[in-house]
Amino acid sequence: MEQKKVLIVDDEIHIVHVVAIKLRNNGYEVISANNGAEAYELACDIKPDIIVTDFQMPVMTGMELVEKLRENEQTKNIPVIMLTARSFAVTKEQREQLHISDCLSKPFSPRELLVNIEDILYQNELVAEAK
Amino acid sequence: MFVEFGVIVLRRSGKILIVVTMFVVCITVICNTAWGSGYEVRRNMDYTDIMLGSISIVTVLYIAEALGVILTGLYMLKLAGAIASIARLLNSETSNSYDNHPLSILRLKKIKELREKIVVLFEERNSLVEMYDKQIKELKVQLHISQKRQTHIEEIIYSIRDSVIVVDEFDKLLMANEPAGKLLGFDYKKSYFKPIKEIISSERKEFLKFLSHTKKSRGQAARKELETIQDGKLKTYDCIVSCIYDNNKQVCGVVAVLHDITREKEISNMKNDFISHVSHELKTPLASITAYSEMLADDEANDEETRKEFYAVIQNQAQRLNRLIEDILNTSRIESGLIKINKEPLSMAILIEEQLKMIKSYAEEKEITIIGQTPIVCDQIYVDRDMISQVIVNLLSNAVKYTKPGGTVTIESKTDEAASKIQVLITDTGVGIPDDEIEHVFDKYYRVETNKKQARGTGLGLNLVKQIVEKIHNGRVFVNSRVGIGSTFGFELPLASKNIEITV
Repeated sequence: MEQKKVLIVDDEIHIVHVVAIKLRNNGYEVISANNGAEAYELACDIKPDIIVTDFQMPVMTGMELVEKLRENEQTKNIPVIMLTARSFAVTKEQREQLHISDCLSKPFSPRELLVNIEDILYQNELVAEAK
Repeated sequence: MFVEFGVIVLRRSGKILIVVTMFVVCITVICNTAWGSGYEVRRNMDYTDIMLGSISIVTVLYIAEALGVILTGLYMLKLAGAIASIARLLNSETSNSYDNHPLSILRLKKIKELREKIVVLFEERNSLVEMYDKQIKELKVQLHISQKRQTHIEEIIYSIRDSVIVVDEFDKLLMANEPAGKLLGFDYKKSYFKPIKEIISSERKEFLKFLSHTKKSRGQAARKELETIQDGKLKTYDCIVSCIYDNNKQVCGVVAVLHDITREKEISNMKNDFISHVSHELKTPLASITAYSEMLADDEANDEETRKEFYAVIQNQAQRLNRLIEDILNTSRIESGLIKINKEPLSMAILIEEQLKMIKSYAEEKEITIIGQTPIVCDQIYVDRDMISQVIVNLLSNAVKYTKPGGTVTIESKTDEAASKIQVLITDTGVGIPDDEIEHVFDKYYRVETNKKQARGTGLGLNLVKQIVEKIHNGRVFVNSRVGIGSTFGFELPLASKNIEITV
C-alpha cells in the first residue's frame, strides 16, 4: 500500500515534532513547514494527501494558506485540517467556502488527530473509487 | 416743562396787565389836569377849537383805553386757553368746564388747584425719576454681572481641552473653543453668529448631519463615535450632542462636545488583540504539554532517548507557560500596587548566567547563538531576584524570538562605578524596529505592526520590563534599533550601596 503523505505546518517546532512522530509511527510520510508560504511551495511540489496546518502563524497564516491552495488547480482538492488555539477563529461559512475538512482546537490530542486524518483520507478514497 | 412755562407766563401776563392799566390811568389824569390848568389859554381860543381839541384828546384816550382793555382781554383769553390746555394735559377733573367758561381757569382757586396738581405731578415725577435711576443702577449691576458670567463661561469653555461648540436654533455659531475651531476647520473667534454650514469644512459633514439630526429629534442628548483624518492620522472622537431648551421647552440650540478617544480606542483594540494573542500564547505551550504527555501515555516514544526528549519538552513548555502567566500576573500586580517586593543584594552576572541557562534550549531550537559577556566585577545590585530575572529572560527571549535562525544574541553588562550604575545590553541580529514605532515598544499591549507576522506575542513582556526596572528599581530602560540590522535593548540599575552586605 502506498504511503500517504502528510504536510504539517506550524511555527511551533514541538507541535510539528510530536505530530510527525505520531504519524510516522502509524505509517505516514511526514513533511513539515514552519509557515504558510513555505507550506504552499511544498504543497505545490510534493502534492500531499492531506495538510495539517496551524491557524495563526508568522509570514502567512493558515487561512491565507488555504485560500491560496484553493486558488491553485493543482492543490485545490487537498483536504486540510486546521489546528487553532481559538476555536471561534474559523467560521462555519469559511469552513464550507474553503473546504476545510476539520478544525481541531489546541490543546489537541495527537490520537484524535490521527483518527480524523484516517477518516478524511478514507472518505476521499471512497469518493475517488465512486468516480 | 409745559407746566413750568405756564406758571411763568401767568406771572408775566399779570405784570403786563398792571402796567397797561397804570399807563391808561396816568394818561387820563394828565389829560384832565392839562385841560383844567390850560383854562386861560383855552379862554383865548375859539370855543369851537377848544371843543374840538378836548373831544379829540378824550376820544383818543378812551379809544386807547378801550383798545388796551380789548387787547388785555384777548391776551387773557389766549392765556386762559393755554392754561386750560395745560390743565387738560394734567387731566384735571374740571377740564371740561373750561370749554364753556374759558376765563374760569384764571380764577385764583383754579390756578391754585392747578398749581397743587403740578406740584403733585412734580413729586410723582421725581419719585419716578428716583425709581428709574435705581432700576437703571440695578440693571447696570446685572449687566455687569451678566457680562462677567459670560466671560467666565467663555473662559471655562476656552480652557476645556475637548472641542466644544454651541449653536442657536437657526444653526448659527454662538460659542466655540480653540480645539473645536482646529478640529472643524474655522477661526473660532471670528465666526460667531455665522451659519455653521458656512464655517465648518465639508470634510466634517458627518458631524453636521449628526448635529442637525439631534436637534430635529429634540432628544436630550445623543452620542456617536466620529472618525476623521487629522494631520494624516485617523482620529476617533466621542461626540455628545445635547439640546438646549427655552422656558417653553422648545429647542433653542444645541451644544456639542467632542472628546478625543483615539488613544482609548487604540488601547481597546490592543486589549482585544491581547486577549486574542494571550489565549493563543497560553494554549500553545499547553498544547505541547498535552500532546507529549499523551504520546508518553500511548507509548509512542520508542526509546529511552525519545522519552527523555519528550520529558524535556514538557518541562520547557511548562516553564514557558509559567513565564507567560507570571508576566500577566505581575503586570496586573504592579499596576494595582499589590506586588510583594523582596529586595536583596545580588550579583548581576549570576542573575544573567541563570537566565542564560533558561533560554539556552529555546535559542538552540531556533539555531541562534547566545554570547554572554558578563564579568563578575563590581556588579552588585539591590534588587528583587524574581523580578530582575524576569526582566533578563523577557529581553533574551524577545531577542531570540525576533532573530532569524543562524543569528546571534549578545548579552553584556557594564559597570559605571563613578555614576554607581550597572548597564545590561542585549543585542540581536534580528528584524529591527521601524523608527516611527520605536517609542511605543514599551507600551502595554503594543506590538510592532511590521513584526506581528514575524512572531507571536502578548505585548506585555516589554511593558513589564519597563515597570520592573523603572517603577520598582528606579532604573531606566532604553532601546536602539535599525530595521534589518538588529536591536539593542538595555536597562540600567543603581549599584548596591557599600553598607549592604553582598551575597552571591
